[in-house]
Amino acid sequence: MQVKVLSTKFDIPDAHKIDVAKEHGAYSTLEKVFGMQAEEIIELVKESGLRGRGGAGFPTGLKWSFLPKNLDKPVYLAVNSDESEPATFKDRYILVRDPHLLIEGIIICCYAIKSHAAYIYIRGEYTTQVKALQAAIDEAYDAGYLGESVAGNDFKLDVTVHRGAGAYVCGEETALLESIEGRKGQPRSKPPFPAVEGLYGCPTIINNVQSIASLPFILANGPDAYKAFGTEKSPGTHLFGISGLVKSPGMYELPLGLPLLEVIEKVAGGMRDGRTLKGVIPGGSSTPVLTPEEAKTVTLDYESMAAHKTMFGSGGIVVLDDTVDMVKLVENLIYFYHHESCGQCTPCREGLGWMLKIVKKIVRGEGTIADIDLLTELCDNIEMKTVCVLSAACTMSTRSYLNKFRHEFEAYVKNDVSIQTAM
Amino acid sequence: MAEKVKLFVNGQEVEVESGKNLIDAVGAVGIEIPHLCYHPALGADGNCRMCLVGIEDGRPPLVPACKTRAVEGMKVQLDAEKIKKIQHDVMEFELINHPIDCPICDQAGECQLQDYYMKYDGQKSRMTVKPVLKAKKLDFGCGVVHDQERCILCARCVRFTRMITKTGELGIVNRTDAARVNIFPGRPLANRYALNVVDLCPVGAMTSKDFRFKQRAWFLTKSKSVCHGCSKGCNIFIDHNREKYKDDVIYRFRPRLNEQVNGYFICDEGRMTYKLENDNRLGAAQIDGKDVGFNEAIETTRRAISQSSKVVVLISPNCSLEQMRGLQKFAEASNFILSGYSEGYIQVGDGDDFLIKDDKSANRASFALLGIDATKASFDAAIEGADLLISCQNDLSRSISDSDMNSLQEKIKIVYISSYSDAMSSKASIVLPVASYSEDKGSIINSDNVLQQYDVAVRKNNPIHNLIHVVNLLGGDIKNCEEAWADLTANIAALKNVDLEHLPNEGLVLTENEVSNVAA
Repeated sequence: MQVKVLSTKFDIPDAHKIDVAKEHGAYSTLEKVFGMQAEEIIELVKESGLRGRGGAGFPTGLKWSFLPKNLDKPVYLAVNSDESEPATFKDRYILVRDPHLLIEGIIICCYAIKSHAAYIYIRGEYTTQVKALQAAIDEAYDAGYLGESVAGNDFKLDVTVHRGAGAYVCGEETALLESIEGRKGQPRSKPPFPAVEGLYGCPTIINNVQSIASLPFILANGPDAYKAFGTEKSPGTHLFGISGLVKSPGMYELPLGLPLLEVIEKVAGGMRDGRTLKGVIPGGSSTPVLTPEEAKTVTLDYESMAAHKTMFGSGGIVVLDDTVDMVKLVENLIYFYHHESCGQCTPCREGLGWMLKIVKKIVRGEGTIADIDLLTELCDNIEMKTVCVLSAACTMSTRSYLNKFRHEFEAYVKNDVSIQTAM
Repeated sequence: MAEKVKLFVNGQEVEVESGKNLIDAVGAVGIEIPHLCYHPALGADGNCRMCLVGIEDGRPPLVPACKTRAVEGMKVQLDAEKIKKIQHDVMEFELINHPIDCPICDQAGECQLQDYYMKYDGQKSRMTVKPVLKAKKLDFGCGVVHDQERCILCARCVRFTRMITKTGELGIVNRTDAARVNIFPGRPLANRYALNVVDLCPVGAMTSKDFRFKQRAWFLTKSKSVCHGCSKGCNIFIDHNREKYKDDVIYRFRPRLNEQVNGYFICDEGRMTYKLENDNRLGAAQIDGKDVGFNEAIETTRRAISQSSKVVVLISPNCSLEQMRGLQKFAEASNFILSGYSEGYIQVGDGDDFLIKDDKSANRASFALLGIDATKASFDAAIEGADLLISCQNDLSRSISDSDMNSLQEKIKIVYISSYSDAMSSKASIVLPVASYSEDKGSIINSDNVLQQYDVAVRKNNPIHNLIHVVNLLGGDIKNCEEAWADLTANIAALKNVDLEHLPNEGLVLTENEVSNVAA
């Protein structure tokens, strides 16, 4: 089931070094790229159907075409490498094992959007990754792929690595821009959207690492080759991070559209012996949980996930078996989002703390049915009332557990040990 | 006139100014959109989420009104159930960690949270877990005390120090519900406008050390006036109260909006000049340091005038236009020499490019308008050989040295008509108390030639006569403000077409030419 589009060089020793990478095709698309018009590349990417791999799945080519025409300001590219969503661990492989794939993608993207400065915003905790990436960028400068004249063409491009300081919210694209500008990482109100007014007030395109890294393949092999993978509306491949209680957790590249249970069974080695499936988090901790029943019919693409009232997200699949205590899982979940709230706007700042205290009260065995109802209501009261979607990440997922596993919460309230999950 | 657009609020068509944000635009036609973080002087931040409104057929359907421009044909939903619920929910979030200590909070009575709770929330608390405990009574410097528990993190104060004073002493540290407004360690507020954060704070998180615990807001009478602290003429509210069995006392000055003069703010020094109106006031008339009856002092003064061969009247640049005219007419009719010498009222280099001016007097521009000579040379010439000096509110000790003052006192009999007990009153043989500007009415012209008026704010238990009346008692023609107005419009070219009885609220700009023409 596994394919190699993004991960072709992942298993090649020293592929992070430019010589080895070039031997295996790195930067080979550039000649073609610089022979094309910028608009042609945008059209090509649109045609490929590539969708943003950060989680929202917005068509990448369409995003680029939102840039205002006839600009008198510089355009920036910001590559979102903040990868902080719990259960998401895909971009880090690209950064360490094939950073030149990303750099090649950045060159393609910048040429297409006519940008001469790209920023890679990398999660602060990614110390190994930042070293590998910076080393690769230095190599690319030395080899003439970055700098005044990219690969000998009349095109200037500088790439700067900006390290985050450990805030999850900086993965939100406008908070990311604030952070690059040296301010506290707090999301901006939209509109204006970054494509119109982004970094330093200039039009800015923000793309996920994996989206950018998909570009060389599309340029080299054409949109049809990319569309050969995946479904009609969700074409291509994706790096899936499968974690949780399976026999072989790990990062696997798969085409979109595969049945979830089959992937768990055949790719991730299936459930541990004697354990049964209790639920699946399909795409990072913020996506609503799927019950075993729902997991039977869902496939790994944007449309099927939406039809099951959850989201494809970042491809971070967490498999939960019957040993998992959903109440404690929710406590952990709210703890994370509360801790990571930037504290800017009222519902998120005050509301998530309140939710955390209520769920802790339930875990302590002091909760009431009214507390469960209040928790459910607070999800509604907070969601979509805030500047960004951080609070929605918490409330959407929390609500799914409250609705689908309410009996577990009630067991805590009623102190019914028989229903509580024994760890 | 700004362009108008028609839009719908709750289905009702209203015409508003185009380009403004929705809060200001529909606020101007009397429709309130609740908001906590937005302030017209500080712009939109969008953090409180109280101003979320629905836009019918809009994308996105829910927007912060502070960040949304009024557009032709827009359909704004303000009374829809979902919007009311949002307002209620946001208020609930604002209040869950709030101490609700209104009975001991100085903001009570003028608190946005209180008002909005009554208007948009009104529900019982559902908080069954412990609230977040935060620090209280933090001394932020400049007389500002901060209570983190009452704070709703609207960041108005932070934005004020960044955008208005550009000193940036305040910031929000930490994130989530550990976020707090704070100063940098060891670096308190240090700007001359710091107390404005107390007015800006929509809740009781910022209180003034000077005012806190003195009065409940609802007992205060809020009278409009104009600050006399410098020549800017900032518009203020005089908040005063007559407690049972006590006198009418001023408790604070607050800025009053005047886009033409001071905007939303005043300086801290000006704010604190309210103390001069309460303390060190001249109560009784005095002759040679002994209290005497007012009429006796008037009689003694009249006798002194009649016995003198050369009388100099020294007028203060703090006197109102009407008072100046009254004195000018009196001096002309009686052959007195009139001087406005008051060099000491100017502190060169003290002003800034915002509100504070070098000139610490309120009405020097009227000297030019009326042609009153304020030079030292003419004052020295006038005082030479004079045997009586009548100073009206002018503390000469601010302008000349102690030794000069002493020798002047030896040579010339001094009559001091003043509101304040100061260095000059101790030198005077006769002291006549008069009302200060907070107890009087009048007009003043600021450093930008804006003519403004103030009315009587404070009424003392034992009212003191105003200066025009005292001058009238001493022999002046003009009996009151109204007579002064009639005289001024008849004789001063720049005021010819000015209706002094009905000046616009924001004052009237006298063009520079007219003033200088008259002075020349």
